Amino acid sequence: MVRYEGEPIAGVVAEDEALARDALTAIAVELEATPAVGDIEAAVAPGAPLVHPDWRGYDVAFDYPRNGNVAAELNSDPDPEALANAFKQADLIVEAEYRAPRQYQAYIEPKSALASWESGRYIVHTASQFPFNVRDQVASFLGVRVSDVRVIGHHIGGGFGAKLDAGLEPYAALFARAVGAPVKIDNDRTEDLLTCGCRENAVVRMRTALSSDGRILARDVDCLMDNGAYSGEMPFMASLPMHVFGQVYRSGPTRIRCRLIYTNTAPTGAFRGVSGTYLYFALERNMDECALRLGIDRRQFRIKNLIGDGEATLVGQVLSDAGLLREGFDEIERMAPWSEVSRKDASPGKLVGVGIAATTWLTNPGAGSVTLKLNEDGTVGLVTAATDNGSGAVTMGVAQIAAAELGVKPNDVVIQMPDTDSAAYDAGSQGSRTTHVVGRATLAAAAEVRQKILAIAGDLLEAAEADLELADGAVRVKGAPSRSVTLSQVATEALRSGGPIAAAGSYATPLPAFNPSCATGLLFPTFPTPTYHVHLAVVEVDAATGQVKVVRYVVAQEVGKAINPDAVRGQIQGAVAQGLGYLLYEGLDIENSRYKQRTLETYRLPLAVDIPNVESVLMEHGDSAGPYGARGVAEPPIVPVAAAVGNAICDAIGKSINRIPIRPDDILEAIDVDGRLEPA
Amino acid sequence: MELSITVNGAPHVIDVRPHATLLSVLRDSLFLTGTKRGCDEGECGACTVLVDGYAADSCIVAALSVNGSRVDTVEGLGGQHGDLDGLQRGFVEAGAVQCGFCTPGFLMTLTAFMRENPNPAADEVRMAIAGNICRCTGYSQIVDAVRIAVANRPQ
Repeated sequence: MVRYEGEPIAGVVAEDEALARDALTAIAVELEATPAVGDIEAAVAPGAPLVHPDWRGYDVAFDYPRNGNVAAELNSDPDPEALANAFKQADLIVEAEYRAPRQYQAYIEPKSALASWESGRYIVHTASQFPFNVRDQVASFLGVRVSDVRVIGHHIGGGFGAKLDAGLEPYAALFARAVGAPVKIDNDRTEDLLTCGCRENAVVRMRTALSSDGRILARDVDCLMDNGAYSGEMPFMASLPMHVFGQVYRSGPTRIRCRLIYTNTAPTGAFRGVSGTYLYFALERNMDECALRLGIDRRQFRIKNLIGDGEATLVGQVLSDAGLLREGFDEIERMAPWSEVSRKDASPGKLVGVGIAATTWLTNPGAGSVTLKLNEDGTVGLVTAATDNGSGAVTMGVAQIAAAELGVKPNDVVIQMPDTDSAAYDAGSQGSRTTHVVGRATLAAAAEVRQKILAIAGDLLEAAEADLELADGAVRVKGAPSRSVTLSQVATEALRSGGPIAAAGSYATPLPAFNPSCATGLLFPTFPTPTYHVHLAVVEVDAATGQVKVVRYVVAQEVGKAINPDAVRGQIQGAVAQGLGYLLYEGLDIENSRYKQRTLETYRLPLAVDIPNVESVLMEHGDSAGPYGARGVAEPPIVPVAAAVGNAICDAIGKSINRIPIRPDDILEAIDVDGRLEPA
Repeated sequence: MELSITVNGAPHVIDVRPHATLLSVLRDSLFLTGTKRGCDEGECGACTVLVDGYAADSCIVAALSVNGSRVDTVEGLGGQHGDLDGLQRGFVEAGAVQCGFCTPGFLMTLTAFMRENPNPAADEVRMAIAGNICRCTGYSQIVDAVRIAVANRPQ
């Protein structure tokens, strides 16, 4: 059965690409058409065709609620009586529906894989964010042990979540064994787009009960998320509303239902910020609508309902430092005072609006490791399967930490590319985890290497270890810098006494406590190592054309400790650009189960002329577990962007637009309800 | 068919298929893989090279149409010992490289642009690179790289 356009059904191996494409046309496929469903709302309607008629018989990794086209379902309604009472006693109920499209990661390097079969093992070369996951998925596909597969990582031409799962690698490995020669598969752009695990489209319906003095009394949330035809990690995403709707604002008794829906479309998957991007859009658009209906200032309304230090989220996780959200609002106020940016000095024909949005996000806790060795020339070798997905987390962050601990220059840390044969497990470049988790593993490895260095240097210098320091590639006696030995001398001496200097360090973030009975279907229970974010946008809307220009974009972000401040700001700038693309330009439209946009010509990405310089303030309240206090940094700055800019646009035009993307046509249509605003 | 081109100053005579693109000749025949393939339709700019000094998307240039031309790729920008040129150093200093896959295209577009516009304003730079897509950086650091390269240019 073919369940989506782009699903692999046959393959051709040839000596070059042109020959392979010619041979493909020689394959005749006879398909019998059966009813399909390409839309999440149609898929849950009574009588909808089942994407997986045999879903009951499937082997799933965890036992979670499933039913027909509902691939996974989360339900939470801890106090139905309190919820009903709150809605009964509310002074105001705000009800709305929010929509978001699929977003294609559109990394500039399409996916590619090269595999060979050598001495009974599969060797796979790939630019993956998560080599160990690729190893496991290739082994599972081929029915071999994971140790029969070796994955060698390469520089990644962008991934943003789409290169966490295996894509072409299992097929390359299968074909390589079948033909007895190395096989390479390259996606062209359309193949890549059609089969990519894009950010899912979704519908979020929300009712909010309010008191006239501006308190949120209760909330009722219903989400439909598009799973596509097959599930990867999407069942985990159905848990995200449980986090988003309780970790920024107090909302009283809260009922949440989230259904992940099978459709006859490409499987959806991880894209930076995952479901948080549109869930926060829904939450923060709702916050604006609540404040406007109550006649309360939108910023004040938020601050009044912010959670604080030590409050628990809907899953029962206690956020000891959630008061940092308030500090984020204060930092934004210092950079862009609300009363000033709300003044709206518009030029003729333009409408100016301001939007603000807050986010609590996590640092992925997955396990990682590092091996450090002292090379005989005094440089430091660093072996890890952690990957650098363009963020610099390994080549800058982790390398800087190793360099600082061992007193060498960052350029003298020699990093091996990821290799599942030589490095221990690493949970991949996802959820901003690398600097935090692998950095922490680096500290552990460095402490042991440092100890070995000091023991040998102490002998060479006839000094107590406590009197030694590591700096400038040497070990020196404190206060007597002329008494020193180079790390090269130490490494060479080690070969005669005790053997080469090397050590490994490992780390995985302990998971926070939570309340397991808060919901059913809660596969993603906690948000470890939380980070806090407030974003503000000022936009100018052209009343005649509907074009949006982002005039100012301001970010306050809790980073724990910025190991490399320029790299942190670079991640914020790039994440905001992706968020602006999401809100203003991008989106895959699905028609008859097929994408309408199929190349970069029709899938409109943000360009240099579209993106402002982002102003950011880095808040540094160290996390006690992080290396030097560092928390995750790179993923979350995309999360509040659609919310902040969406609110700014709606403020500018005085109308609600509750769907992503907001394109010029949508703006003109919204304005047009009571007549186009004429340019002054 | 026979194609004669000068790439980064070196003359080449190459046997190519009639429909071969300049990109495929550079990557697959000359193994100059610094020029990247991103979309094959002239949208992303990752394959930008200079043809007789002008920036062109090599993925949509028929190789035989540039017979006799001079082609410059990112491999030809730096010095012989791997040292970077001023614009490349500007990219490093500004943090204008994240994943790096689009970088060669930006460098070639800007190399051509800055020959005509040695002291561009920021909005002129943004317009000049509007045909190159970077998915990582959000572009500001690339604009900064040009400013730094101009400031550091020997007088």
